[in-house]
Amino acid sequence: MPAAPFPERERIDARDKVLGATAYAADIPLPGLLYAMMVPATTPKGRVETVAVEGAMQVRGVVRVLTAFDFPALPGPPPTPATEIAYRGQPVALVVAETLEAAIEGAEAVRATYAGQAFVPLIDSPGAARELVQPKKAGNAQAAMAGAATTIEASYVSPAQHHNPMEMLSTTAVWRDGKLTIYEGTQSASLVRANVAIALHLDPAVVEVKSAQVGGAFGQKIPLQRQTPIVALAAILIGRPVKLVLPRAQIFHNAVFRPKSRHQVALGADAGGKLTAIRYDADHQQSRKGTLEPGYHESPPRMYGVADYDGTAAHVRIDTQDPGAMRAPYPHPAQFAFESAVDELAHKLGRDPVAFRLAHQATTDPISGNPLSSCFLNDCLTEGARRFGWERRPIAQGAMVEPDGTLVGWGVAAGGYPANVSPTIATLRVSADGRTRFAVAGHEMGQGIRTVIAQLLQRELDVDPARLEIAIGDTAAAPQHTTASSRGTVSVGAAVTAAAAKMRAAMAELIGQRSIAGNIHRQLATVRRPFLQVEVSTLGPGQDAGALDRLRAGARAAAGPEYPQFTSFSYIAHFVEVRVEPSTRRVRVPRVVSIADCGRVVSPRTAASQVRGGVVWAIGAALREETEVDPRFGGWLNADLADYVVPVNADIGDIDVGFVDRPDPLFNAVGSKGLGEVAMVGAAAAIANAVFHATGTRVRKMPLRIEDLL
Amino acid sequence: MPRKIRFKLNGRAVSTDVMPHETIVDMLTQHFDLTGARESCGQGLCGCCTVHVDEKPVSGCLSLAWFLDGANVRTIEGLADGDNLDPVQQAFIETGAFQCGFCTPGFIMMTKKLIEQHPKPTDDEIRHYLTGNLCRCSAYPEIIEAVKLAASRVGLRN
Ligand code: FES
Ligand code: FES
Repeated sequence: MPAAPFPERERIDARDKVLGATAYAADIPLPGLLYAMMVPATTPKGRVETVAVEGAMQVRGVVRVLTAFDFPALPGPPPTPATEIAYRGQPVALVVAETLEAAIEGAEAVRATYAGQAFVPLIDSPGAARELVQPKKAGNAQAAMAGAATTIEASYVSPAQHHNPMEMLSTTAVWRDGKLTIYEGTQSASLVRANVAIALHLDPAVVEVKSAQVGGAFGQKIPLQRQTPIVALAAILIGRPVKLVLPRAQIFHNAVFRPKSRHQVALGADAGGKLTAIRYDADHQQSRKGTLEPGYHESPPRMYGVADYDGTAAHVRIDTQDPGAMRAPYPHPAQFAFESAVDELAHKLGRDPVAFRLAHQATTDPISGNPLSSCFLNDCLTEGARRFGWERRPIAQGAMVEPDGTLVGWGVAAGGYPANVSPTIATLRVSADGRTRFAVAGHEMGQGIRTVIAQLLQRELDVDPARLEIAIGDTAAAPQHTTASSRGTVSVGAAVTAAAAKMRAAMAELIGQRSIAGNIHRQLATVRRPFLQVEVSTLGPGQDAGALDRLRAGARAAAGPEYPQFTSFSYIAHFVEVRVEPSTRRVRVPRVVSIADCGRVVSPRTAASQVRGGVVWAIGAALREETEVDPRFGGWLNADLADYVVPVNADIGDIDVGFVDRPDPLFNAVGSKGLGEVAMVGAAAAIANAVFHATGTRVRKMPLRIEDLL
Repeated sequence: MPRKIRFKLNGRAVSTDVMPHETIVDMLTQHFDLTGARESCGQGLCGCCTVHVDEKPVSGCLSLAWFLDGANVRTIEGLADGDNLDPVQQAFIETGAFQCGFCTPGFIMMTKKLIEQHPKPTDDEIRHYLTGNLCRCSAYPEIIEAVKLAASRVGLRN
C-alpha cells in the first residue's frame, strides 16, 4: 500500500442481473402477503377534517384502512399519516387488501375532507420565507473584488428535478414473533431502522432493515421514506406481511427531490488575468420544516486556489414536500453556475478556457486553511484536452459550421466533489470449507460496491472468489452507514484493509512456524480449524469512537471533506462537443471526454461505468429534466415518465472516460477518493459553454431549451 | 370472473386462472414467481417489463394476461439454455452493460428482437430501436457495445 493499479474484472453480480434473477425489495416472496395502496391528500395545505373509510371497507378483499388516528402521537411533523397537510399528495390513509386490485379500488373509495389554507407554491411567490444560513468566507473578497481589473457577474438557475430510479419506491414489512423486518430499497438501512423505531415507539433492537439490492437510488433513498413506518404499522396491526409499491406519481409527490436553486456569481481577475475574488450567493427551494442545507459552497472554493471567497446561502421556504440530495446535490448546480461564470470570465479576458483553468492550480483549501490532500485537476484538463483535440478549437464563437448549417461548439468545465468517509464495523469469516463471509456497511445500488469489496478482498487475501458472500445493506449483518456522497468505496476500502490485516495476523498465529500449502481455506482445513473470524472497526481521519456510536445508532457518522490536517476532494474535467441543428435548434451532444481524479481506481470497470452514467445524467440535466410545480393547485405537473423526460439511448453519443489513477495516500491506505458524484459535476456547464461557443448565446439556466436558442 | 388460460411459458405448457384486469407482469409475478419482467412506468414507456409474446416484444405492464390463451410467451428467465447463457446475456456481462440491473431484462429481451431484425446493426439503428427502454443508471454506452458484440456472435453462429 498504496495500492498498485487494480485489474479489470467482471461485476460479481453480473450473471444474476442478466438472468433476471436479482431480487429487489419488492420481489421477495412472502406467504400471506397483503397489498397496500396509499391515499394521497388532494389539497396542498390544510387540515384533514374527516376521513370516510366505509366505502373502502366495502370493497371485496380490503382488510383494513389506516388513517392518522391509528398512529402514535409524535412531536413535530410525523413521517406517518397526519392531520396537518403540508403538501399535495401527502399520505392521508393506507388501504390494505388481499390483492393489489382491491387495494387500489379501496384507496379510490376513501373520502377525505379538508379545511384548506392559503399556500405558497413557488420560491418567487409572495409568502416564500427566506432564511439565511451561516456564510462561507475566506480572506477578504470585497477588497479583492474592488481591486480587480476585470469582473463579471451573472445569475444562474438550476430547476427542481426528481431522481426517478427505475425501481419504484416500495416497502414490505413483516411482523413476526415480536420482530419487525422491513425489506425496501434504501441507501440507509440503519437510519431507516432508527427512525421507524422512533415513529412507532419501538425498541430499535426489534427492527431489522434489509436492502440487499437497490434498483438505482441517486440520493432518493437516503432519508426515511414517507411510506415506511405506515406500512410497518399496518403489518404490526394486521399480523401479516404487507407490501406497498408506490405508483410513480405518488413517488414524485412523496419522495425527496432536487430543489430548485438560484446562484448569483461574481468573479474578479487582476491585471495579469489571474482569478482573485469570488462572490457567490445561493438559495434554494425548501419545505417549511425541511433540513437539507443549502450547502452550495462545497466545491467552488476548492477548485482554483483563490484566497478571497465570499459565499452566502439561504433557504426559501414554501409549501412543498421535503427536498433532498440528488446526485451531486450541491456541486452539480453550483458548478453549473461557477464553471459557466469561469467561462464567461475567460471569454472576457480573451483567454482559452483550458489554459485559463490550468493557470490556477489549487494546493490549499482557503476555507480551512489546510492543504488539499491531492488535486490532479490539471492532469485531468491536460489529458482531456489531448484526447479531445482541443488545440484545434477556434477561440471565436460560431466559427465551426457544417455545410447544412449545423453549428458546432466545444466547451470545457471542471468539477469537484468532497472526498468523504464513513466509519465502519465489519466482520470477516473465512471457513475451511472454502466459504468467506464479509459483513460490512454498504448498499448495492448499481454502483458495484460488492464488486469493489471482492476486488479489494482478493488483493489482500487468497480467498475463493466463487464462494464469497458479501453481506451488506442489512442491519442484521453490520451497522449500515448511509451509502451516498461517494463514500462507499473509500469506507469499505478501509474496512477490508483492516479486516484482512487482522485475518493475516490471526492466521500467522494459528499456523506459527509451519509452512502449509494451499490457499487460506486449505490452510485452515489442514490445521483442522473450521473457521477464523475477525471483527474490525475503522474511523475516518480525525474521528473518535463517538463516530462508531453514531454509526450503530443510525445517525450521521461520516466525515469530510475537511479533516484535521487536510481537505480532500475528487476532481474531473469534461470536454464536450455540441451540435445545434439549424432548423430546430435542437442541441445534441455527440462527443464527450471526461477525465477524473478520484485517487486510486479500485474497480476500473464499474468506475468507468459510473463516469459515463454521470455524464449522461448531466446531459439530461442540461437539456431535458425539470419537474414543474403546478402553481394553481400545488404538487407537480409532470409527475410521470411520459412528461419528465430522462435521456435515452438516442440522446447519447460517444463518451470517452479516463482516470488520472494516482493514489491519495494522505487520505487513506488504498488511496481512493470517491467517484460516483464527481462524475456528473461540471458536465452541464461544459455543455452550456459549448453551446455558447457554437452559437454565441449564453444560457444561464438548466435545462437549456430550444426556445433559448431561437 | 376468472378465466382459465393455457399457453406456453418459456417452452413449457402451463395454465392458470386470470382476472380480466391482470396484466402480464402481474400474472408472471403472482402466479409463476417470475420477477424478471418488472413494472417501472406502467405506461409502456420504459421497457422494464418487456416479454416476447408469439415472438413479438410487448410491454407486460400494458398487455392483459386474459388474451394469452394459446400464446407462446418467453421471459428473461427462459432465455438461457440451462447453464449456457444466451449470446445477448453473455455480451451484456462482458461489456458491463448495467449498473443496478433493474432495466436489464427488458433491454436484453428487446435486443434479441433488434438483432433478428438488424443482424448487423449500426449505432444509430441500435439507439433508435432501444429508445423505448430507459436505463436511469445510464449504462447506454455499454449497452450499445453489448448489442454489437452479441450481434457479431449471433452472426457468426448462423
Ligand atoms: S413498466 Fe411497462 S413499459 Fe414501463
Ligand atoms: S442498470 Fe439501473 S436502470 Fe439500467
